[in-house]
Amino acid sequence: MTSILKVSSLHAGYGAGDILKGIDVELPAGSILTIIGPNGSGKSTLAKTLAGLLRARQGSIELEGEPLNELSAPKRVLAGISYVPQEYNVFRNLTVLENLKIAREFMGARGPRDFMGANGKAARGLDDGLEELFPELPKHYRIAAGNLSGGQRQMLAFACALTVRPKLLILDEPSAGLSPILTREVFERVERVNRTGVSILMIEQNAIEALRISHSCVVLSGGRVRACASAKDVLGMKDLNSFYLGDASNRI
Amino acid sequence: MLQTAFNGVVTGVIMALPALAVTLLFGVLKFPNFAVGAMMTVAAYLAFGLNAQLGWPLAAATVAAALAMGALCIGIDQLTFKPLRERGAITLMVASLGLGFILENVARFAYGNTARSFAIELARPFRVADVRMNHEQMITIAVSSAAMIAMWVLLTRLPIGRAMRAVADNPSLALVRGIESPRVIRWTWFLAGVLLALGGVLIGMDRALEPPMGSNYLISVFAAAILGGLGSPLGAFVGALVVGVVSELSTLVVAPNYRIGVPLLALAVILVFRPQGLFGQPYIRK
Repeated sequence: MTSILKVSSLHAGYGAGDILKGIDVELPAGSILTIIGPNGSGKSTLAKTLAGLLRARQGSIELEGEPLNELSAPKRVLAGISYVPQEYNVFRNLTVLENLKIAREFMGARGPRDFMGANGKAARGLDDGLEELFPELPKHYRIAAGNLSGGQRQMLAFACALTVRPKLLILDEPSAGLSPILTREVFERVERVNRTGVSILMIEQNAIEALRISHSCVVLSGGRVRACASAKDVLGMKDLNSFYLGDASNRI
Repeated sequence: MLQTAFNGVVTGVIMALPALAVTLLFGVLKFPNFAVGAMMTVAAYLAFGLNAQLGWPLAAATVAAALAMGALCIGIDQLTFKPLRERGAITLMVASLGLGFILENVARFAYGNTARSFAIELARPFRVADVRMNHEQMITIAVSSAAMIAMWVLLTRLPIGRAMRAVADNPSLALVRGIESPRVIRWTWFLAGVLLALGGVLIGMDRALEPPMGSNYLISVFAAAILGGLGSPLGAFVGALVVGVVSELSTLVVAPNYRIGVPLLALAVILVFRPQGLFGQPYIRK
């Protein structure tokens, strides 16, 4: 299988030290990869670096063979990467419909004409494919996104990220702060999104639930990749916890 | 009483323009720009130069000054604030204070300290229900209301307005939703420049043109923007009206010299009960 995303010896961080100390990750096209690891292992930093919010200090990021390192975050959206942050992932003061329009307008990423609203498609909220995936959203179009419930907000964030038709969707802990029922619903939605052909890189604390829908799994700890395996193998393990924490004896 | 209230409304709608500029700039750039007063002064003198010296009609001179001020603000931002953008709000605020001094004194250098006025024909005031109004006041209300409505349409209906609100709401999310913030910042400065120019000309029409004309309004303008809730365009408008009317009405009770103190007192009281201002969103530190 060809890979959609290829990350090689990636270093990134804030201030003096590196948080990511040489990450290698490859994501086969059309699959779901889950990244697990203890707190502070660099999972969210990796997501931010891939999205372009944090500069890569060393190493390379390639989407379908095209290098992304030099592209700004908005340009990466154009290139096909869509990122859903863990918190504050919708514009709270804007309505649901405005959130969706914003996502589709690519303000200024393509050029000044974007600002005058040349993009007629943006006038609508969800297009047909997405309306099928998120049937509950149109009801809430006029509501400020900050007034949605946690689960609805997560769905809106997904929909915004998907409305640009990305090749790769990066989700940072989509189940954070959600009840078990909502968590299952979120993962079920992630699976359906994946079936439409979108490759997904997902960061999760909820390892078991996440791995059930994933194809492969990467364990991060201390800014390094500790293990890399198929999701099925990891789920079959007896001592999942020590694997989760990146115990070297479980390295496959 | 009614007359005083009407005068307050006129002062209020004038202040609404710079208050909106302050609130837009604060929303997108997250610092209080204290140069707005001097920016109004400079724009007013630009219009004065075209109007009184070159003989343009005031309307045309105002439009030209507004566009020029918009462009000038983009330039000022590139030279002054852009290099400091990562240094935090305090640094930017201090820079804006310095910039204000420079701009005001450029105006002073060019036109001196003498009070001047636009070349407009004087017309007799007229009376409506015992309230004396003059043409300038009518023009002021019309221009300011039109500008407010235009800004409201822009902010809620046009992609650029949505993008400005999105950047104000959450800058890093805006980046990953494909919004190039440098462009949004330039637009914000341009619009602020246009609003400040209109405000400057209206102040010059209401009072007179002199170098401190803009900075005289600075405290009231900030009171209005904060009262309404920094970052809220509707709040800026309502806040400006409240400050304008309250400060004028207060002259019926206290000496006019203390006029400015009264809205500040009102501001302090309101902020005790509603720290985010009337229409502001509670500030969330991320």
